[in-house]
Amino acid sequence: MLAYRRGEAGAFEALYARHKGPLYRFVLRSVKERALAEELYQEIWMRVIESRGRYAVQAKFTTWLYTIAHHRLADHWRKRGLQLVDAQGADAVGHRSFEPEPRAEGRQDLQRLAAALAALPELQRETFLLHEEAGMTLAEIALATGATQEAAKSRLRYALARLREALGDG
Amino acid sequence: MADTERDEKVAAGYRALRSEEPPRALDEAILTAARKRPSQWRVPLSIAAVLVLAVGVTLRMLPQRPEAESVALAPQVMQTPRPAASAPAPARELARPAAGAEAAAEVAAADALAESQMRSDIAAKPTSRASAAPAPAPAAAGVGAETNVPAGKMAKAELSPQAWLERIAELRKQGRTREAEESLAEFKKRYPDYRVPEPPR
Repeated sequence: MLAYRRGEAGAFEALYARHKGPLYRFVLRSVKERALAEELYQEIWMRVIESRGRYAVQAKFTTWLYTIAHHRLADHWRKRGLQLVDAQGADAVGHRSFEPEPRAEGRQDLQRLAAALAALPELQRETFLLHEEAGMTLAEIALATGATQEAAKSRLRYALARLREALGDG
Repeated sequence: MADTERDEKVAAGYRALRSEEPPRALDEAILTAARKRPSQWRVPLSIAAVLVLAVGVTLRMLPQRPEAESVALAPQVMQTPRPAASAPAPARELARPAAGAEAAAEVAAADALAESQMRSDIAAKPTSRASAAPAPAPAAAGVGAETNVPAGKMAKAELSPQAWLERIAELRKQGRTREAEESLAEFKKRYPDYRVPEPPR
């Protein structure tokens, strides 16, 4: 990012190539509507581009990127009248217009896993995705989402329990 | 990740689900935006800022313009033909402010007509109306003399410059000198280029 800030366009392309898939899936699985996901995904990258002049090395680029993504998604939920709250015992609500298509063997298991992931409360799903897609540690997740490390750990634990259950392993 | 519990089965299952990638067009749009140098962003931003300022200033000035136009073009408005029967109606309304809604609507309609004609006049003849020779006073001009409306107000609403001056002369004849002077002052303010004949000594 520092190289990009200095004007090296190639540096951005390398960053983009590394993070585009995980960030896209993170947004897609968060909002579950492809068109909306694409819009938000583009906005997040635009913010990265616009903020390049203010970028300072305080954390990994990944943490910075997903902090921007977290704030953009929080704005989105706020506009839709939804709040991101911990709902550790509750069932998730909302429509599910996007379900990933399983492609490997054990199709039924994967379909159950996808459905369980889509049904997770927002914060638990976000934590799980930051962990699995972005490869972030609990400390990084806490930093990006503005939560305590304990809260992040708790969310991840609940998410994993539900997903294990969906795979018949609970 | 050492600082949390890890579930390999869930992780493997999730990896099997990961197939989505952003569309190529979206990649291109983002990469194109990223290639633009900061200076390319600053120029349109400065232009936008200047435009916003200009629009803001114009909007602040707008409420003052119609007044100025109506002052300069008042005589022309009064030259627009009106049906003979309805011509004195506005004057009557001025004399009796408590009149019914129907008459008020008529006045409003007449005003709207006058305004639209005034605006078409503005477009057709942008030169100063005040210096042009005044047209003969319309039928409505004489009505003011039969009412109790102050001469200045009546002139502002109804009279042509010539009729206004006649009204001022009439006031003088009646010995209402103060009213005549006030009306004349207002006349001069409104038609600064109009040649006003000296009052008879």
